[in-house]
Amino acid sequence: MLLLDYQNVLIQSVLTERFSGAPPVSIDQTVSDFDGVIFHISTPETKTKIMVSIQIRCFKDLVRYGAEEVLNREYGPYVVPPEPGYDFSIVVDLESLPTDKEARDELVKKISLLKRNAMAAPFEQAYEEHYRLKQEASKFTSEEAPQGVREGGEVKAIHYREEEAIYVKASHDRVTVIFSTVFREETDRVFGKVFIQEFVDARRRAIQNAPQVLFRNDPPLELQGVPGVKNTGTGEIGYVTFGRWTYLRCGRACVLRGTVLFTRHLTPQRMPDVISHIQTFRDYFHYHIKASKAYIHSRMRRRTADFLQVLRRARPDHEEKERKTASGRTFKVGS
Amino acid sequence: MANQTPAVVMDNGTGFSKLGFAGNDSPSFVFPTAIATKGPAAGSGGSGSGRPAVANKPSFLTGGAGPTGHLSTKRGTEDLDFFIGDEAINAASGPGYGLHYPIRHGQIENWDHMERFWSNSIFKYLRVEPEDHYFLLTEPPLNPPENRENTAEIFFESFNCAGLYIAVQAVLALAASWTSSKVTDRSLTGTVIDSGDGVTHVIPVAEGYVIGSSIKSIPIAGRDITYFVQSLLRDRGEPDSSLKTAQEIKEEYCYVCPDIVKEFARFDRDRSRFMKHVVTQPGGRQVTVDVGYERFLAPEIFFNPEIYSSDFLTPLPVVVDGVIQSSPIDVRRGLYKNIVLSGGSTLYKDFGRRLQRDIKQLVDDRIRASEVRSGGAKSGGLEVQVITHKRQRHGPWFGGSLLGQTPEFRSYCHTKAEYQEYGPGIVRRFALLGGPGGS
Repeated sequence: MLLLDYQNVLIQSVLTERFSGAPPVSIDQTVSDFDGVIFHISTPETKTKIMVSIQIRCFKDLVRYGAEEVLNREYGPYVVPPEPGYDFSIVVDLESLPTDKEARDELVKKISLLKRNAMAAPFEQAYEEHYRLKQEASKFTSEEAPQGVREGGEVKAIHYREEEAIYVKASHDRVTVIFSTVFREETDRVFGKVFIQEFVDARRRAIQNAPQVLFRNDPPLELQGVPGVKNTGTGEIGYVTFGRWTYLRCGRACVLRGTVLFTRHLTPQRMPDVISHIQTFRDYFHYHIKASKAYIHSRMRRRTADFLQVLRRARPDHEEKERKTASGRTFKVGS
Repeated sequence: MANQTPAVVMDNGTGFSKLGFAGNDSPSFVFPTAIATKGPAAGSGGSGSGRPAVANKPSFLTGGAGPTGHLSTKRGTEDLDFFIGDEAINAASGPGYGLHYPIRHGQIENWDHMERFWSNSIFKYLRVEPEDHYFLLTEPPLNPPENRENTAEIFFESFNCAGLYIAVQAVLALAASWTSSKVTDRSLTGTVIDSGDGVTHVIPVAEGYVIGSSIKSIPIAGRDITYFVQSLLRDRGEPDSSLKTAQEIKEEYCYVCPDIVKEFARFDRDRSRFMKHVVTQPGGRQVTVDVGYERFLAPEIFFNPEIYSSDFLTPLPVVVDGVIQSSPIDVRRGLYKNIVLSGGSTLYKDFGRRLQRDIKQLVDDRIRASEVRSGGAKSGGLEVQVITHKRQRHGPWFGGSLLGQTPEFRSYCHTKAEYQEYGPGIVRRFALLGGPGGS
């Protein structure tokens, strides 16, 4: 498994089963997802009405960047007032499902992408802003462009975890995405650095059209003046900058054990994919750190087994031992 | 609890793994504990023994050209090329992948595979960051402490999980029985009868601690019942006697009868007790299989093993009675009073009632005999109670979910910081969850 899925597998499997025409049963399940997102699937009123609620830490940030519009666009007819304790809810009535199977699968897929869609809003907004700025900038040459156009839009901060955030900034020639990551663990920090170094070097080495990636321990220039960005100086926090994608921003990052692969898709239709990929970056990054550790562990186990084998071989087959009988006579055993 | 992430409960059994979040009433995922990796299956080589098959010469002497295709000789992304669960079974049916079962007899045998199995179940299925969640794992009774340490090493060092608790399956099964209306006091004393697919265990637990010396296992479990049904179908020459059909019949029609002879007579009187089972064979052809005496005969092998096996002849009630009699005398009353069923093969209708009656009979006979021998003394009697509840099938998982959602669960876990302070040996001891002083 190289890539992580974007959708929540559990929601998908629960809904697929429910939608397949199985007799309705009551459901009450709390489901977790990456970044502290919690889903609640329940049937509060009747067994045929399934409610899916989501709780996101940074929902306030997301609303500011237009999450509600995106969610309403995606889930329009299903949206209901949010369940207490959760940020957003939808209700699907099993009795009024689309009739053909494909439409149902589509709906299941859509619901299981709830988290992705909620998080997509700031990115989409950044894209639009970029298109707008590009239009404006095309009227000027680079020198005489007014300050606002050259500088680009404001920095959108999504504090998706307690200490970590994604910053998105659009300007006329690029969209910059900055991840701040925290490593609690010394080992992880080392692994992480190696990984990111590979990302950074990817463009230099093999893949010419990969987006530029920067990694540094102090906040990058784009984040100057953004409240809440601290320069700890301890190196615990790292900043990964994706971006400066001159044309149509691309995405699709795959780490192949240190080989970074960026494929450029030159159609703006790839936007949803890019957003999905960028979102799973952190989880994916951490997954691969863990997978590498597992790999190293398995090599360590193997090496231990080999050494034990050598030791076992080194033992002489017939050891001569001197034994004593009760009366004090000695004799030799073995050989 | 708004900001608290739910604890992850993982019950990795020999056959199936149950994964989910604490507080839910059923596991989110139940799939085979199987992993499919590139290369031949485990059955052929020595890798089934758990240790990687050691080459004639160690690999560092041969320059990594040992005869085994072990992972450590690979430098690419081979270690990420695997499937787990149902996907593994599908992948293994095609070419290129071999199927492995990292757990044997309840204990983890292949740590390489298990580590990857866990990483995939956490990231792909449960979709959680281990840093953010506490984990509750289960272990079989009599699991060596080294295995616990290995597990802790993987969870703390590979996954950096926030906290870890390892509980014994039997104790969790007892906790799961608290949902039954028959249980009034939430004690952790009782006898657990855990019958899965491969083997049936009878485990006495006193105040949360397993009495290891008294555990008995019976080589009759779900798979044997399926084989027995299959053999009955074959004897009659039914049109379809595949293992799958036998299993469906077992799950759908079987029940436990109070008296086998009367049940035969009742079947002969009332023809409506004979059922028909429709099987759709591959290819779309439908055949009808008659279902007759096996409805009550199949689960009967627990109570009269001689009808199925010729080398194991002790009925289940006698085993249970023996287990309790071999336990310390001061807990026996509690053990008789709280006999808890767990596992898929205890789900037959009236299984608990029959077991209770048979054990009661054994106990009463013994009491009567000792009354006669003592010459006139009267015994106050002994209460025997077998507890059947709704969560029997995934008993240990449900018990884990129940205990994992309690607010004090986290204080019982060992955290990463504690692990780093003391080393892996810390997981040899856990404070008893749900025990006295707990909830």
